[in-house]
Amino acid sequence: MLRCMSTEDDTAGRTVVRLDAVRKEYGATIALDGVSLEIRSGEAVAVMGPSGCGKSTLLNMIAGLDRPTSGTVVVDGEELGRHDEKALARLRRRRIRMIFQFFNLLDDLSVLDNVALAARLIGVPAAQARRRAVELLDELGIADRQSRYPALLSGGERQRVGVARALMNHPVLLLADEPTGALDSKAGEQVMGILMDLHRAGQTVVLVTHDRDLASRHANRLIEVADGRVVGERRLKPTQ
Amino acid sequence: MGAVWLASRAAVKRRRLQSVVIGLVVLFSTATFVVALGLLAASSAPFTNAYARGHGAHVVADFDMTAVSGAQLARAAEQPGVEAVAGPFGKAVLTITENKAGFPFGPLTVVGRADPAGPVDRLDLWAGRWATGPGEIVMNRPSGQGLVPRALGDTFQVPGGPLLTIVGFADSVSQSAGAWVSPGQIGALHPSEQQMLYRFKDSSTDAEIRSGLASVTAGLPPGALVESQSYLVLKRAFAAGPGAYVPFLMVFGVLGIVVAVLIVANVVSGAVVTGFRHIGVLKALGFTPNQVAAVYLTMISVPAIAGCALGVVLGNILAKPLLSGAFQGLDVPNAGVGRAVDVTCLLGVPVLVAVAALGPALRARGLSAVEAISAGSTPRAGRALRAQRWLAGTRLPRPISLGLGLPIVRPARVALTMAAIVLGVITVTFATGLTNTMVAYGKAQEANGAVQVTVRAADPGDGQTARRLGDSETEGLLRSLPGAVHVTAGSYADIYLGSSQTTDAEFLRGDSSTLGYLMVKGHWMNGAGQIVARSDFLHQRGLAVGDQTTLDLGGKRTQVRIVGEFLAGGFSVFCDWATLTELAPDQQATDYEIQLAPGTNTDAYIAAFTKAAGTGLNATADTNQTSVGTVVITSFASIFTLMLGLIAAMGVFNTVVLNTRERRRNLGMLKSIGMTPRQVTFMMITSMVPLGVIGGLLGLPVGIIAHRLIVPASARAAGIDMPASMMHVWHAPMLSVLALAGVLIAVLGAFIPARAAARLTVAEVLRSE
Ligand SMILES: Nc1ncnc2c1ncn2[C@@H]1O[C@H](COP(=O)(O)OP(=O)(O)O)[C@@H](O)[C@H]1O
Ligand SMILES: [Mg+2]
Repeated sequence: MLRCMSTEDDTAGRTVVRLDAVRKEYGATIALDGVSLEIRSGEAVAVMGPSGCGKSTLLNMIAGLDRPTSGTVVVDGEELGRHDEKALARLRRRRIRMIFQFFNLLDDLSVLDNVALAARLIGVPAAQARRRAVELLDELGIADRQSRYPALLSGGERQRVGVARALMNHPVLLLADEPTGALDSKAGEQVMGILMDLHRAGQTVVLVTHDRDLASRHANRLIEVADGRVVGERRLKPTQ
Repeated sequence: MGAVWLASRAAVKRRRLQSVVIGLVVLFSTATFVVALGLLAASSAPFTNAYARGHGAHVVADFDMTAVSGAQLARAAEQPGVEAVAGPFGKAVLTITENKAGFPFGPLTVVGRADPAGPVDRLDLWAGRWATGPGEIVMNRPSGQGLVPRALGDTFQVPGGPLLTIVGFADSVSQSAGAWVSPGQIGALHPSEQQMLYRFKDSSTDAEIRSGLASVTAGLPPGALVESQSYLVLKRAFAAGPGAYVPFLMVFGVLGIVVAVLIVANVVSGAVVTGFRHIGVLKALGFTPNQVAAVYLTMISVPAIAGCALGVVLGNILAKPLLSGAFQGLDVPNAGVGRAVDVTCLLGVPVLVAVAALGPALRARGLSAVEAISAGSTPRAGRALRAQRWLAGTRLPRPISLGLGLPIVRPARVALTMAAIVLGVITVTFATGLTNTMVAYGKAQEANGAVQVTVRAADPGDGQTARRLGDSETEGLLRSLPGAVHVTAGSYADIYLGSSQTTDAEFLRGDSSTLGYLMVKGHWMNGAGQIVARSDFLHQRGLAVGDQTTLDLGGKRTQVRIVGEFLAGGFSVFCDWATLTELAPDQQATDYEIQLAPGTNTDAYIAAFTKAAGTGLNATADTNQTSVGTVVITSFASIFTLMLGLIAAMGVFNTVVLNTRERRRNLGMLKSIGMTPRQVTFMMITSMVPLGVIGGLLGLPVGIIAHRLIVPASARAAGIDMPASMMHVWHAPMLSVLALAGVLIAVLGAFIPARAAARLTVAEVLRSE
């Protein structure tokens, strides 16, 4: 089973993410229209809504991949708007990791190097980074694929590489943007199972999904988005 | 650094095609740089530089052994105006009667010298070794003559003397001897003269040279000086021959550099533009902007540095024969690329690549991660769809309409491809025009002063044996001998032409108009008081055709009018004989140039003349006019055109490869719905044809305009006016071929990647996303 990835002695309920009146415009398009929300440590939050309503934009704001037009984003005590690109990159390396619908693996690197690269970025020596990468790949059941290149993997395998990469540096926050969206239902179930194991082990997870069934089975809070606004919020079960 | 290196190393290794293309483009560009810079270095005042490098003698003088001793000569040379002196060396003249590669038929001047170095006339011993023992001889040959070293070991039996064996080949900028032996050996060859080599502090005009020579011969017995040669004669011969090509060769050099820079920039920015998704992923992973820029710089630098190193090697291999060919007439020692050029290229090209990569790398640095990922994966769908729909509505066959739609999808990439094609067409057009101009120039040049025999009178003022035959008798004799068609008599002098600076001039009599100097403006002299002047001279002095000015010869003055401007020649000014008669009535002609009827035996003519004229008049066959012919120039131009065309085609190839890589998924889908590989190839090539057509139509006029502007401008920079006839090098068939060059470059560049794309199986393609 997966070990708990959050090593600090979290007091459950500490605020990990706080959005305050976040607005994002792309030219004439308003992708986010004054979103405010709070996510606490140990939560598994599912974000739902129709296509094009701003879910990915929301996650990108939290990950510091893009900047809001107005409003503030605070993650793990850091106000992202105060940071330059370099500081945001540093934050992404360690504390905020993201999993993408279309994997976004580096085609030039082997599976092992894709995963190890994350640790190399924070200065872990090569041998040690590889050891940890092999451990993670093993736990995710794809250790035998480690020397392949991403192009030769199935979708489910690729997404597990994406998960391993995200977990390398023990992130405070794990973001997943439709991680099962490009997978068949069986592979999707497996990836979802892995994420929920992580959640049970104490990992804070924010998950964008279309699948209401999946969301209600696994998440402990559900946020509904439509037209760039939060239109509903439901607590499903207590935070673990 | 670990993560940056890991990511960039992987990119170099896995994007093999991109790495190879960058490497090759840099390789050929560097080779072009090396040749171009080597050329520029050699072309800047080549004669002066070569002469300074070789410590060439300003005067080579031969003294009668019986009239003066070596000690006397050495003492006489101790003058304040003398910068350096070498000699005396024993000198003998052999007559070679057999014809071997090492010993061509005819007279051979041999000098005894202990070593090839020394204060004056440092020889470039470029093959074999120096002659140190009996029977050893070193021949004077310009370096880089491929066949000559095989003549090492050739022997010649001196009648009643030693057997001489060639042990080396050396090159003398001063042309002081035909061959050298050790001082111990010269005695056995019965020397009759001793050679002195002088360098003077003041040496820029004939008058200065003359006064220098007078100072070192002042205390010597009369008749001791047998013969002397001023380096200004060599300098004039160079100016009239190979030196005349220098400005055009320089244009090629500069063009090579410019095209190479542009294509390198194009290829490098292509690598970054296609890497957007990759850049986005790196950023999402936590690479800082500087680290992303570092990955891209490293990814491009690795193949670029490898290409640069190999390019320097290739450039040196190409430059050696080209440069020694181009400057053959000069006998430039060590013609080739200097170490400075190599170092400049090894350091400069990587910097250049880095600078070219910097713009795009900074752009990569500045993109937000989200923008980068989406820019890399979703083309402007709306516009593409509209274009596709419109094309589908036309009656064109499906693969063609799909192919034509491709460029519209990616405007930035299309701009890059277009730039590569346009550059290619401009290069080919300009180079073709330049080559034709140079060929026209070369032809004019070879016709210029095309004489078969030159007769030069010995100078009694220098203590040489006086001529037996008078001036008019000499001319009469030359005209009367069978075969003579035109005879021009001349006398040179330093004159003042409305200025305190001296001017080298020759006064001409007889058939001077048949010498065929190419006129840029005006006409050749046809009456008293007229002069013609060389183009660069007029520019230097700010004079023009039609100007009236004062000609001063030895203090006597007369008014003359400049009636014509000629392109190139050994003298700055030619004057009518009548002017000389007016200023110095007793002056005789010292030089005669004879044009023979086709088929006349030159040697027989010379022999007949020498027999009738007796001493004091030396007749020689004129052969040096053809030493630098159109062949060298054409080969120079062809090599440059080929290399630049290759670089441009590779720029296109690179762009098409990138296009194809990006379109692979679409190609897979098209194949999955039943398009055949042939149709896919056809479609990919079709997608490049419009670019080729437009590129050709844009590039052709720009190339022609560039030719029209740059060629005369560079000629003007060298002080020459181009005759308009040399700019009319275009004709319809050639223009239509050049217009098609764009299509040709595009189709050739597209063919290989299109075939590769067509061969991929559908599954492979669809998986690779
Ligand atoms: N980089 C972008 N440039 C322009 N418009 C964008 C960009 N990203 C998203 N949008 C627009 O913002 C809106 C929300 O998009 P997104 O957050 O991707 O929706 P979701 O993930 O919910 O499907 C959409 O209308 C989309 O077209
Ligand atoms: Mg989305």
